[in-house]
Amino acid sequence: MKEIIVIIGGGIAGLEAASNLLKLGYSPIIIEKSDHLGGHVANWHKLFPDLTPAKDLVDELIASSKDANIFLNTEVSFINRLKDSYNIMLSNGISIITKYILMTTGFRLFEASKKEEYGYGIYNQVITNSDLEHWFNTGQDKRIDESPMNAIGFVHCVGSRDEKARNSQCSKVCCITAIKQAIELKEKFPDAQIYCFYMDLRLFGKKFEDFYTKAQRDHGIHFIRGRVSEVGENIEGKVIVKAEDTLAGKPIKVTLDLLVLMSGMVCNPDSSKTASMMALPIDSDGFLKSSDNVFRITASPKKGIFYAGACTGPKTVPETLAEARSAVLDIHSHITSQEK
Amino acid sequence: MREIYLSGFNTFVLPFMFGMLFVLGWCLIGAVRIIFQLTPDDRKKFFLSFLNPKIMLKNIRDWFCDCLFHVKLWKRNKLLGYMHSSIAFGWFMIIVLGHIEVFLYTPQRMHQMWYPIFFRYFVAVTDSTMKGSFFFFLMDFFLLVVLSGIVLAIIKRARSRIFGMRRTTRASITDLIGLYSLWAIFPLRLLAEGFTADISGGSFLTKSLNLVLHSFLSDQMNMLPTWWAYSIALCIFMCILPFSRYMHIPAEILLIPMRNAGIPVRHARKGIARLQVYSCPGCGVCIDACPMGVVKANSKDATVYLNRQIKRNNERRIEEISDKCLLCGKCTAVCPVGVEGDRIRIAQRSIRPYNLAPDYSNIDENSAILAVNNFVSTNNNIVSTANNERVLYFAGCMTALTPGIRKSMESVLRKAGVNYRMMDKDGGICCGRPMLMAGRKDPAKEMIRKNTNIIKSSGATTLLLSCPICLKVFKEEYELDGIEIIHHTEFMDRLIAEGRLHVESSEVRYAYHDPCELGRGCGVYDQPRRVVAAAGQLVEGAKSGKESICCGGSLGSLSLGFEQRKLMTENAINNLTADNPDAIVTACPLCKTTFGRYADRPVVDIVEVIDSKTGN
Repeated sequence: MKEIIVIIGGGIAGLEAASNLLKLGYSPIIIEKSDHLGGHVANWHKLFPDLTPAKDLVDELIASSKDANIFLNTEVSFINRLKDSYNIMLSNGISIITKYILMTTGFRLFEASKKEEYGYGIYNQVITNSDLEHWFNTGQDKRIDESPMNAIGFVHCVGSRDEKARNSQCSKVCCITAIKQAIELKEKFPDAQIYCFYMDLRLFGKKFEDFYTKAQRDHGIHFIRGRVSEVGENIEGKVIVKAEDTLAGKPIKVTLDLLVLMSGMVCNPDSSKTASMMALPIDSDGFLKSSDNVFRITASPKKGIFYAGACTGPKTVPETLAEARSAVLDIHSHITSQEK
Repeated sequence: MREIYLSGFNTFVLPFMFGMLFVLGWCLIGAVRIIFQLTPDDRKKFFLSFLNPKIMLKNIRDWFCDCLFHVKLWKRNKLLGYMHSSIAFGWFMIIVLGHIEVFLYTPQRMHQMWYPIFFRYFVAVTDSTMKGSFFFFLMDFFLLVVLSGIVLAIIKRARSRIFGMRRTTRASITDLIGLYSLWAIFPLRLLAEGFTADISGGSFLTKSLNLVLHSFLSDQMNMLPTWWAYSIALCIFMCILPFSRYMHIPAEILLIPMRNAGIPVRHARKGIARLQVYSCPGCGVCIDACPMGVVKANSKDATVYLNRQIKRNNERRIEEISDKCLLCGKCTAVCPVGVEGDRIRIAQRSIRPYNLAPDYSNIDENSAILAVNNFVSTNNNIVSTANNERVLYFAGCMTALTPGIRKSMESVLRKAGVNYRMMDKDGGICCGRPMLMAGRKDPAKEMIRKNTNIIKSSGATTLLLSCPICLKVFKEEYELDGIEIIHHTEFMDRLIAEGRLHVESSEVRYAYHDPCELGRGCGVYDQPRRVVAAAGQLVEGAKSGKESICCGGSLGSLSLGFEQRKLMTENAINNLTADNPDAIVTACPLCKTTFGRYADRPVVDIVEVIDSKTGN
C-alpha cells in the first residue's frame, strides 16, 4: 500500500513536495484553504532576479503535482494523535489517517494599515508590494491611474525588523523585491523619479547585488538611507513623505504620486492554530520552531511531522523549493527506515 | 476631682516631655524652613490664603476630613478607612477630652504639658465629681475605638487583602519602630489607667480592668511601672516620628493649607515638594495603582518608595524611579494625602545636568504665521457660523503619525460647518510637553514661545486639539489671552449638543478608555462618554475614569523597555475588555497606536467613530 502523506498548504512548498513525493511513489494529499494553488507566488507577477514570470513556475508545479489528491477551500478542523499516526478531520467532513504530515503553511503579509503613519487605507496613493504585483498582473487598481507619474516611493521594512509592529525578524525578500518592482515601474513610467527609503539593504542572494547596481546605474533609482517618519497628503491629493536622509544627515520631504509599502512576512495565524492542534512549539518570532535551526530545519520535534518553506521563517522562492525537496527526502528516509 | 500629689509631677513624665519637646521643636523648625524655601511670591500667596475665608473654610474641612476622618480611604475601602480614622480621630479625641478634663477639674495645672496625658495618675475621684463619669465614659469609649483600630492594623500586617490592598509597603526599620511603639501606646495606657481606676475613677473599660487586675495584683505599687512604660512608649514614638512615615501626621497639617493656597511644585527637593515627601503616610495605595506593577519588580518604583529615597538622599534610586515612571498620574489621583507623584518626578528630572543643549532658535515660525494669519480675512466671510467662531486645529505630532484621526477630524469639522484652519498642515512645532516631561523647561519654553506667536497671530477664538498630551501643556503652560483651548471630545460634545452634528446611533458596544492626560490630566471624563453614547453603546472597563489604567505607551517614561510596556498594555486591554466590547475607543493618538499593537479587537479614536456615524 502506498504511504499517505498529508501536506497542509498548497503553496509552492506544498506543490513541490507533492510532485517529488509522487515521483517517489507515495500518495500525497494537499489541503488548501483558499480556492487556488500556488499561494502568494500565484499572485506575483515576476520573480527576481531574472524576472521569471511567476505564473510559469506555479503552472509547472501544478502540472507536476496534478496526480496528488487536492482539497481546495478546505481547512483542518482538528487533528487527533493516534498510537503511531494522526487522524485529521477536514472542514469538508473527510477524515484522513496518516503517519506523516508536512506543514507548508507559509506566512502572511504584514497588515500595512497597522503602521498607520504610512497612511495605508487612509490615503489613496499608498499601496503595498502585493497590491502592486496584483496591478502588474491584472492592470486593475483604482488607486493607480495610467497617466504618467512623476515620482514614486518605496518604503522598505514595513512591519519587518520593527519591534513596535511586533516583528523583529527581517523578511529577507523585500529589499530585492523593492528593487525589482522599482525597475518594473521605471520601465512603465520612464520619466518618473523613484525613491527607495531603506534602513539597510540586505542583498545576500545570487545576483542580488548586480540587480541593485543595475537599478542605480541603468535605471537611475534613488536609494535613500533613512526611515520614513510620516506620510501626509497635499491639496492635489498627492502624498507627502517625510523622512530622514541619514547619510546626508538631513530631514527630507518629497511629494509622490504613488507610495509602495514593502509589507514584510509575518507568521501565519492559521499555521499557529494548526500547530497548536499537534502541540508543536512556536518560536519567539511566532513562526514554527524546527527541532534544530542549522541541522534539522525541516524536522519538527514531533514524530512524523515535517516542515517546509516559510512556515518556519521568511524565505525566498528557491530556498522554499529546496526545503520542500529536502523535507520529502527526510520523509522518504524515515519511511524506508521504518520498513526495514 | 481632687489632686493626690501636691507637686503634680512624677519623674515618669520626663520621657514623654523629652519626646514631646523634641518633636515640637523639630516640626516647628521644619515648617519655618519649608515656608522660607518657597519663592517670595508663593510665600505671599500662602500667607494671604489664610485671610481668604473660602480657602480657610476648605482648610478646616480638609483638616477634619483628611487628617482625622480619612474620608478618601473610606471611599476606597470601609475597613481601611475605619482603621485609619479610628486611630487618628480616637487619639485626637482622647487628647482633646484630656485637656477638657484638666480645664474643668484642675485648671491650675493647664500650663503643665504632661498633665492631660497622665491625668488619671494625679487625681482621685470624689463624690462631688461623679458627674465626670460622662467624661470617663467618653475617654474609655475613644480608647476602645483606638484599640479596635490597632487590632485591625495588626490584622492588616498579615492579611492586607481584606483591606482592599493587594500589595503593601515594605516598612523600613524606623517605620517598624514607630509602628510597634504606636501599637504599644494604647494598650499600655489602658493598663496604666486600669491600675488607677479605683482611685481616679473610670468607666466600663478601665473600671472593669481594675477589678480584674486587683483580683490577682493587689499591690498599688504595680501602677508606677505601667505609667512609666506608657510614657516611654510615647517617647519612643515621638523621637522616631521625624525619621519614619509617621512624620505625615504633622506634615499633612501644613500641606493642606499650602495645597489649598495653590502653591505648585517648583523645586525638586525644596518647599512644597519636600513637604509632600514628608506628608507621605506610606500607606501604599499607590503601589496597587501603579500600571507598572504588572511586573512585580516594578512595585518598588511606586511613589511611596520615591518619597522614602528622597528622604534618604539616595540619588541613584531617585534617578531610577523618576526616570522609569510613565507619568500617568494615577498615584496622584488615588493618594489620600495629595502627594503629586508625577510632578515630584518631573522635578527630580529637572535638576539633572544635561550635556547637550539643543538649540531650536533656527526653527522658522514665520511660514506658519503666514499660513494662518489670513484666517480672519479669507475665511470669515465664506462661512458664517454661530458666535463668529474661528477654530485653529493643531493636530500635533502624535496625530501626524495616526493620519486617520486627522482626516476624520477634518471631515467632522466640515460636516458641522465649522470655520477652521489647520495650524500644522505642513508640519508644526512641538507643543513642548515631551521636553517638559523630561524636566527640561528651557527648551520647552522656546517651543511654547514660537507656538504662542503662531496662535496669537491667527486671530483664532478657539484652539482645537486631538492629542491630550498637547492639551495639557496648552492649558497649563501657554498664555493665550482668552483663546479657548479645547479637546476634540469636548468640541464634538458641544457640536452634538448644539445640533450641528447629527450622529446615527448604533448597536456597536464601545469600551471607552480614558487617556491619562485627558482624564486625570485635564479632568475631561463626561464629554467623551456622551459622545460615545451618541454613536453606540458605552461600555466601561473594570477600572475607568480617575482610575483608568495607562496604555503603557506614555512618553513619560525615559527608561522603560518595550517588553515591560507590552505587559502593561496587555493588562490595560484586559481591563478594558472585561465586559467584552466590540471595539475600544480612545481619545488619544498615542493610546490608539499602543493598544492597536496588541488588541484583539478594533481600536479607534472617538473622532473616527463619529466621522463614520455622521452623514454629510
